[in-house]
Amino acid sequence: MGNVLIVDDSSTMRKIISRSLRQAGLQVDDIYEAGDGIEALSAMEGKSIDLILSDINMPNMDGLEFIKCVRAKGVSTPIVMITTEGGEDILKEAISSGASDSIKKPFTPDQLNEKLGGLL
Amino acid sequence: MMSLNQEIAHATHLQEADLASYVINATKEVFDTMVMMALEDSYPLKEPVTSFHCSVTGMVGLAGTYTGILSIHCPRSFAMRITSNMLGMDIDEVGEDVNDALGEIANMLGGYVKQILSKGGLDINLSIPTVISGEDYTVNSMSDSDCVIIPFTNENERFLVGLKLRKEV
Repeated sequence: MGNVLIVDDSSTMRKIISRSLRQAGLQVDDIYEAGDGIEALSAMEGKSIDLILSDINMPNMDGLEFIKCVRAKGVSTPIVMITTEGGEDILKEAISSGASDSIKKPFTPDQLNEKLGGLL
Repeated sequence: MMSLNQEIAHATHLQEADLASYVINATKEVFDTMVMMALEDSYPLKEPVTSFHCSVTGMVGLAGTYTGILSIHCPRSFAMRITSNMLGMDIDEVGEDVNDALGEIANMLGGYVKQILSKGGLDINLSIPTVISGEDYTVNSMSDSDCVIIPFTNENERFLVGLKLRKEV
């Protein structure tokens, strides 16, 4: 069981991810949402978050900068990128910045289960 | 007939039909997994389409070693049907939800195109999606000749996915 923070500038995608987590049979308690990295940093304050799912390409603060800010605060919560970005270099940069893994959009609930099952 | 120019074909080692095939497969996969719709394609389109009536257009730009625009053009009724399927709720007006859904589809398709053009993902940037809608509008860009436009249908409704590309130095 765990609380999940979904960070994506598309409200449609946040709803799809939220629905897919439950369809995948993952043990999720509360789901929080944020539209970019800045909103996500605010959303994390005072909450117990067990898993962060973040897009990369977002306005104001993108996913890579967001990961760096989270890790700079000493927060070790697993961060999995859910993104249209499939390039090897950009995903390496995400991992070296502190991301745990990545999931390519579009995805299926089964793919979410496979990647996230061990984190929740 | 429209086509991608020879410079693009040479740089990507892809013929127009190969690139079109990639966009067709990407579009079908996005619609199959995220919209729960099976699509039929009818490539190639014989004449360019730049004028749209009661439609919604989602676009994402590519900038870097290649520049270009990936676009999806839908009649309003079809855009609402796409959005309803993605959100799992009935949508009966073109507003924020439809704009967001069309933008996200353009974003996912742009990601596929970036993946075949980019060496590792850092040499091409995807823009934040742009969505326009209206009673009558036209969409024009750099050159009408450097493009591939693919018609798709689902339950007798047709929409278009277009890709315009230019190789930068």
